[in-house]
Amino acid sequence: MEVEPIPEQVQEKIEQVDSADLVVGVIEELDQDGLAVLCDALRMLPGSPRVVVLRDDRAANPGQSDVEAAEQSGSSCYLVRWPLLGSATPGAPVVGTSSAYQTVFAASEKFGARACCVIASSLEAATPGWVRELAQPLVEGDFDLVLPHYARRKFEGLLNSSIIAPLMRCLYGKRIHYPMGPDLGISRRLFQKMLGTERGAGVGGNSVHSLASLAPAALCENLQVREVHLAARIYPPTDWMNISSLVAQILGPIFLDMERNAACWQRMRVSVPVPAIGEPLLVSQDTETVDISRMMESFQLGIRDLQEIWGLVLPPSTLFELRKLARLPSEQFRMPDELWVRIVYDFALAHRLRTINRDHLLKSMTPLYLAWVSSYAHDLETAGRTASEERLERLSVAYESGKTYLVSRWRWPDRFNP
Amino acid sequence: MWSQVKQQLAESTARFLTRFASMVPGLAALVLALLISIVIGCILAAIVRPLLSSMRFDDRLARWGFPSVAEWSPMKSPTLLVSRAIAALVVLTGFLIGIAAVDADWTSQLARSIVAYIPNMLGAALVLLVGSVIARFLARSVLIGAVNLNLHYARLLSLGVKWMVVVLTVAMALEHLRIAPGIVKLAFGILFGGIVITLALAVGLGSKDLVTKSLERDAQKTSSDNVEEPFRHI
Repeated sequence: MEVEPIPEQVQEKIEQVDSADLVVGVIEELDQDGLAVLCDALRMLPGSPRVVVLRDDRAANPGQSDVEAAEQSGSSCYLVRWPLLGSATPGAPVVGTSSAYQTVFAASEKFGARACCVIASSLEAATPGWVRELAQPLVEGDFDLVLPHYARRKFEGLLNSSIIAPLMRCLYGKRIHYPMGPDLGISRRLFQKMLGTERGAGVGGNSVHSLASLAPAALCENLQVREVHLAARIYPPTDWMNISSLVAQILGPIFLDMERNAACWQRMRVSVPVPAIGEPLLVSQDTETVDISRMMESFQLGIRDLQEIWGLVLPPSTLFELRKLARLPSEQFRMPDELWVRIVYDFALAHRLRTINRDHLLKSMTPLYLAWVSSYAHDLETAGRTASEERLERLSVAYESGKTYLVSRWRWPDRFNP
Repeated sequence: MWSQVKQQLAESTARFLTRFASMVPGLAALVLALLISIVIGCILAAIVRPLLSSMRFDDRLARWGFPSVAEWSPMKSPTLLVSRAIAALVVLTGFLIGIAAVDADWTSQLARSIVAYIPNMLGAALVLLVGSVIARFLARSVLIGAVNLNLHYARLLSLGVKWMVVVLTVAMALEHLRIAPGIVKLAFGILFGGIVITLALAVGLGSKDLVTKSLERDAQKTSSDNVEEPFRHI
């Protein structure tokens, strides 16, 4: 992933603004009024820092100059149109977002900013207040990474709930709820480190995925991490045709990072909570029954056709349990947490060992992931918020309990094969 | 008259015995070369077998994407296949050396034609190797993609793609070996076309009901897609 060179026009604008205390990258589209409100919110930050708001140049009105926009918004808030900040890379939205992060880091370095924030959620949900809440700990305190803790509906952010958050918690020993944001606040120390890592990785050809690597980098370096309670974010609707690509795009960088940080996470034994700013926000939960037939069908097809591939990755005992699960009637279908955790660990290990082509490996995991979602939906379809939190806590504990299995297989993949 | 016959007989016997006597050292050398090559082959096989076993060669080969090698190996062990192939190569070399001791002209001709054929054999082996890797890769890609699209005939599609590539590869390898090129071209055309028609029939006509159901289900899914569902993955 390479950061594009800064065009000449933008270079002139950088010289106009000269320097900034805080850089805010807005990846989603935002109109002029929205920008003005955002600048108003940022001016309320303590110490009135000089703020530069970056927006994608494709979203901007070509007739309007950036200086005008800055004047409209007030002297301490500058708007700069920045090329290639948008996340809309066709077929690879996650890679596009990660590239946009790298662009914001490079811009922050250029402005000599103390910190930067990235807003990647739709701004219908991400109110300007969010940006202030993410930026405040960076401006006021000595924090390095400010992560969001969104109010959560039980069937939203499922890839995060089932794999990303519990895996990060178990690996790095910190109970963070949304390690991959995507709305984040990052200190100068951390974004410089990410830029340095990117340059170093570019030489060896092992690219760094900014979004997946941020939290592990901060936790392994013992940097100060805080969570901020935010309202529910608006998730994009599920694209069922490309869900396997999405799974591969998300899990690939996470498994790569596991490989990179193996020395760090093998030392961690227990997890501790991360201090959070603000109060948890409540959100209404649907208690209607949900249709899981599509996901169950995918799992049944996987059991029928993908066993040959899963057999290269999973131990016989896991395959046996999966076959048993496939014979259960839909209403009795439950995937035990321990089984799911072992599946995730075995896939991470197979990714490291390159047992099969990595893209094939990650895409073949999709039916198993959908089986977990079906089981989770069965458990919680009529449950409220508390039950959902308890269910996910049990899953996280299962991840932690299974860590010895992961470490053993990671260290001795040939010798330790149950 | 009788004395002339006797003389001719004696001369021919002497010629035969002389020629045979001149060949005996060569034959002895052939037997000796064969014996020595068999011994060396056995020793090499005995060294290679435990060496490959200690390297977990069979597992590694399966992991590199060649599990089918085990299927046509003796006792389903690629290690045994490699060690026996090495022994056979040594014995063949010993045989050629032995033959050279019997008749140098014939052997040199044989050796020349064998050496000239080696590039073709290597080329064909390379084509087969690359072809089998590509066939496996494409078959897996199609299988995983089709399963993730909830297609019920995923395995059939995957097998079809795999056999198309395998047939193409084998035809290319045989062409490279210059074995009955006319027949190979004809057979390839028939087989390749046959696979395509089989796939078309299986998906289009043979699996008519399956496809109808699948399309109906897709239509239902499309209409249910319009209904707001609660699952959000990222």
